[in-house]
Amino acid sequence: MTLIDLVRKNLFRKRLRTILTLVAIFVAFVIFGVLATFQNAINAGVEVAGADRLITVNRINFTLPMPLAYATRVAAVPGVARVAHAEWFGGYFQEPRNFLVAFAVDPKNYLDIYPEYIVPPAQREAFLRDKTSILVGKSVAEQFGWKAGDRLPLKSNIYTQKNGSDTWDFTIAGIVAGNEARVDTSFVMFHYQYLADTRSFGDGTTGWMILKTTDAKENARVMREVDALFANSAFETETKTEQAFNKAFAEQLGDLGFIVTMIVGAAFATILLIVGNTMMLTVRERTNEIAVMKTIGFTTQRIFGLVLGESMLLALIGGLLGIAFAWLISFAMAGPLSRFGPIAFSWDTAATAFVLMAVLGLLTGLIPAIRAMNTDIVTALGRK
Amino acid sequence: MGRTLTQIGTVTAMNLRSLPQRKWTSLATVVAIALVTGVLLAFLAMANGFQATVAGTGASDVMIAMRKGSESEINSTLMREQVLLLQEAPGLAKASDGKPLMSPELYVIVDGIKKSSGLKANLPLRGLGPLANEVRRGITIVSGRMFQPGTNELVVGRAVSKQFRGFELGAKMRLASQNWVVVGEFDAGGTVFESEIWADVAVLQGLYQRGSTVQTVRARMTDPANLEKIRAFSEADPRLKLDVKSEKDFYAGQSRNIGDLILYLGWPLAIAMSFGALAGALNTMFASVDARTREIATLRAIGFRGTPAFIGTMVESLILAAIGGLVGAVGTYLLFDGLSAATLGGNFTQVVFSLKLSWSLVLQGLILALVIGVAGGVFPAWRAARVPLLAAFKEQ
Repeated sequence: MTLIDLVRKNLFRKRLRTILTLVAIFVAFVIFGVLATFQNAINAGVEVAGADRLITVNRINFTLPMPLAYATRVAAVPGVARVAHAEWFGGYFQEPRNFLVAFAVDPKNYLDIYPEYIVPPAQREAFLRDKTSILVGKSVAEQFGWKAGDRLPLKSNIYTQKNGSDTWDFTIAGIVAGNEARVDTSFVMFHYQYLADTRSFGDGTTGWMILKTTDAKENARVMREVDALFANSAFETETKTEQAFNKAFAEQLGDLGFIVTMIVGAAFATILLIVGNTMMLTVRERTNEIAVMKTIGFTTQRIFGLVLGESMLLALIGGLLGIAFAWLISFAMAGPLSRFGPIAFSWDTAATAFVLMAVLGLLTGLIPAIRAMNTDIVTALGRK
Repeated sequence: MGRTLTQIGTVTAMNLRSLPQRKWTSLATVVAIALVTGVLLAFLAMANGFQATVAGTGASDVMIAMRKGSESEINSTLMREQVLLLQEAPGLAKASDGKPLMSPELYVIVDGIKKSSGLKANLPLRGLGPLANEVRRGITIVSGRMFQPGTNELVVGRAVSKQFRGFELGAKMRLASQNWVVVGEFDAGGTVFESEIWADVAVLQGLYQRGSTVQTVRARMTDPANLEKIRAFSEADPRLKLDVKSEKDFYAGQSRNIGDLILYLGWPLAIAMSFGALAGALNTMFASVDARTREIATLRAIGFRGTPAFIGTMVESLILAAIGGLVGAVGTYLLFDGLSAATLGGNFTQVVFSLKLSWSLVLQGLILALVIGVAGGVFPAWRAARVPLLAAFKEQ
């Protein structure tokens, strides 16, 4: 019988206890897997942000407008390859609770600057041609069951039309997909010009600009020069990398990283106690048997390995099952929760989980293993 | 009956007295249950604190008018003409000169830097009309003074100066190429207003090139019941047709979404973690029953029944769970109660709130702990009740 056989047999000797311990480990890893996936979804904007993309917003706050004319002036700054502008529409479908992330954009430049948005060429052409058409992100289209060619009336909680109407009519030109799972597609975008021509106020202004630089190395200089252009005007600007902008945006919700760390910490502290305690109990019950094993020639190293192996195996089985289940959950949540961000289980999460399993197995097995290793044959056998 | 009770008492006492022999395993269970209770209570305290702050804002005798469908102040726009029409609305409280107590307000967002993260976050900058002080009550300047109308002066809520950098008394800042200075700090009784920055509406209109438009109108009513009359007045005039709500209802509506979100996260998490703690409790209690097998069998042999063994084990489990629950509650109270946090509220701006435990929340936490105790005790207790007599002679 090899050491591994022995470890396996030992592990399931008290079946109920082992299963219960496995459940505890399983739960902790499910919590870790699901929370890490959520956190990734919220931070996805930070990770997929283009290194050569900058965002220029109104210096006072990004919700305030800036003159449309800025786009032309910024395009002339050396190092700026492309400029697009966009504006928040505050859109909803039929009722305010069907809230949509709707942007009024400068269509051609916007699509060119975001190569991660994939639109079939024919749909792209149709969108660029028709001023009243709209592109719908894949996750929104799936949520509402919309497809290309559908009519889509949208209302805004900010704007009204000059003619008094509160509804803008669009035709869906196509569906925008992401080039990878992490790309968020929970938005719709339409022609800025359509909004500008019809809205009752906001003449000549837009929301923010997206700048593509010729090289990420130029970023710092471009940011400085762009903001210098508008210094001391009524609309001062602030330019940041897209990554910095998205990070600050995600942080507005609260210190999510801290909350997730606290919960995962509590969950792991719990299983550390439970598993460690079970291992101690197990070794104590087997004192006699360990003494016998030592008597018949098991080395202290093998005894040590036997106990540590058991706790490692326990952590590994529970952990792998937990991570597999978390993967299933994130799969199931991806659809219904897509509006919060792209929910996709990442390999990084799996790798971290693996490290956690090893640490858990080590920490819970170490003291019992040392104790087993140090079992004194005479005392143990004489204790009866 | 009396004898059974005596037996129950005896066995329970024996169980509890032998607890120190199993102190490490029992302690592990207690701590596991304490952690589960703590996580649940932290979430509940967060939801409770947020709701208390937002739902506690606003008076029922103040009405707020916004553009229809705008849902929040930040999205609303009202024309000067509409403000003037509203002044004729029935049921409004009047100042001594006969003018209605009304405050046309602007609500714009400025950046503040959070002390905790060093990152920028949205802060509301509210422009107040000249009569605002009489419309809103319960505002006191705690240091400095109120802003002078017509100047670039700001007053900030207490929560703003506590959570964000650069808003101390006398601090200077630049907004749209003009210099501003913080001249006062106000207390608004722990409401959302404490997360705001206030200035003169006319100055802000100029600064933000809003011409004569505002975003919302607040007005004091002589009676909360007048709201219906004002609403009817607004509906009857095609130039108005505004959303008219009481300020209290407006904030109650805003508190719901995020408060619910925190709750919907907290309970499932706590329940998932409970399964882990339950597994630990079961292990501990089974080990406890195993360790006492001889003792229980001996008691059976001298005439004790199964019921006392069952109840004795249950009591032990429940006591461990109750201690865990209490430790969790006290720990949450010491660590988190009163802790200040900030998140995005309904107006897309930061709402600063404090985590707040209450007795009813602590009760919910204790119930969760006791449920774990019952579930973790019942199977081991069942095993204890059925220990065969022969086990008394089994070697341990």
